[in-house]
Amino acid sequence: MYEIWLALNIVYEIALGLWPALLILLGVWLAVLVANRQGLWAVPLMRLLAIAVVVAVAVGAALPSLTLSSFGNFGYWVDWANWLAMAAGAGVAVAVGLWPLMARRQG
Amino acid sequence: MPPMPELNRRRWLLGAAGATAAAAMAAPVAQAARLKTQARIVVAGSGLGGLAVATRLSKLLDGARITIVDKKQEHNYQPGYTLVATGVWPVSKVRDRNADLQPAGVQWIQEMVAEFDPVGNAVVTTAGQRVPYDYLVVATGTHQDWGLIEGMDVAAIGQNGLTSVYPSPEAAVATWQAMDAFRQKGGNAVMTLPATPLKCAGAPLKITFMLRDRLAQAGTLDKSSITFYSAVGNVFGVKPVNDNVVGRWQDLGIGIEYTQKLKAVDIGARKATFVTPEGASTEVPYDFIHVVPPMRAPDAVKHSDLAWKEGGFAAGGWLEVDKDTLQHRRYKNVFGIGDINGTPRGKTAATVKKAAPLVAQHVVDVIAGREPGQKFDGYTSCPLIVREGSAMLIEFDYEGKLVPSMPMIEPLQDSYFAWLMKYAMLKPAYMAVLKGRV
Repeated sequence: MYEIWLALNIVYEIALGLWPALLILLGVWLAVLVANRQGLWAVPLMRLLAIAVVVAVAVGAALPSLTLSSFGNFGYWVDWANWLAMAAGAGVAVAVGLWPLMARRQG
Repeated sequence: MPPMPELNRRRWLLGAAGATAAAAMAAPVAQAARLKTQARIVVAGSGLGGLAVATRLSKLLDGARITIVDKKQEHNYQPGYTLVATGVWPVSKVRDRNADLQPAGVQWIQEMVAEFDPVGNAVVTTAGQRVPYDYLVVATGTHQDWGLIEGMDVAAIGQNGLTSVYPSPEAAVATWQAMDAFRQKGGNAVMTLPATPLKCAGAPLKITFMLRDRLAQAGTLDKSSITFYSAVGNVFGVKPVNDNVVGRWQDLGIGIEYTQKLKAVDIGARKATFVTPEGASTEVPYDFIHVVPPMRAPDAVKHSDLAWKEGGFAAGGWLEVDKDTLQHRRYKNVFGIGDINGTPRGKTAATVKKAAPLVAQHVVDVIAGREPGQKFDGYTSCPLIVREGSAMLIEFDYEGKLVPSMPMIEPLQDSYFAWLMKYAMLKPAYMAVLKGRV
């Protein structure tokens, strides 16, 4: 439980450093979400999933070098599990971010 | 592509509620049942330990007058020095304004403590101001005893192959400049370790690993030699870690000389002098040297009645606290946090992470008339970098037992995850500790 709390705080502190950009992004996203709320449920789930997978693959491929490391430094399954979780998280975040825009296209 | 089943609205709402809850959790902990008190509490020092305890006390107590005494204007994220000194991080990442980190409602006296008077329940500042207290938290950190190395000049770090990660961000930058220049040509590298307790005792090992890696990257490893001169009989105080590191260094071609204490350095001539406990002296020429200073308590603590009077911690003048409660053994209204404590291990930010909630709670307990009820296990952590992109996440307790905080972590396994922790996650965690949230 403590580790989950710690992880949440780490994410929170990282977000604090980016808050002006995140705030603008969140505002735009909410505005687009509200404007296109009618079409949200018509967005095909598979399309969102496909976006999430593509982004996850791209982020997963770039993550080690972006953090001055490489796949050669992956020592055991914990490395792969964390890498997978981060890549998947990025994929889901981008898919959720694009969801209202796709709803607009549906509308 | 045919339309697939629509997203479930209820699930979406649940997700949104979960995100809101997560955001609320990340906010500072709500104060429940704050203890009303008029107590005067002085916190000597505003490093991680001092700020973390002061922040927690300001949340736990209602009406307490908390005063931080420290003249420091810049707060440095010292665990990041090794990353700066090896060219991984820019120096800006280890610098913050101390004023930005002071807890709300806490008075800040911008002077150093010159004298502790535990009998009179007061501290005296460098400007002569006497600050009385009912409870005292000592968080002064260590003193780096450069004067014990003949010929050493901290201002010369970065010149003539002289380096040290310990003194300051500037020294870390200069160390990287010297390391970068050295790796272009290669040569004879001398790494040192003193015999005293150290803050971040993993730092000399990290610098050694990273120097070797930088030489390999530059293609000058075959023209170089690296030798680690330890003043004691090991390179790290935790045996499984020591054995692991020694094995790795054997494989990497890094030599080790034991019981060789750095006595003097001739900066211009690039020569270091080492002595054995028997007094035998050896002069070693170098192209690159990493100097680790002997450490002790600052004079104000060392020369006060708060210091250990006998035993292994007396020579360094470390704070005489009970290792379980971190309460002073003779002055029950005094507590210690961080590097100043005369305890078997634990001079890292990770130690503060685990100890700060305990110390704050014990101060509250004593104010409330209770005995301190928690027991500190000496938790310490060291993300030991073994090369660029890889580290070991080592966690241990007072007994030197490896105690991974998550069961799946293998402490002696070099890994990307441990590197990522060091590279990207531990400073945010440090800030959360400082703000009293974790």
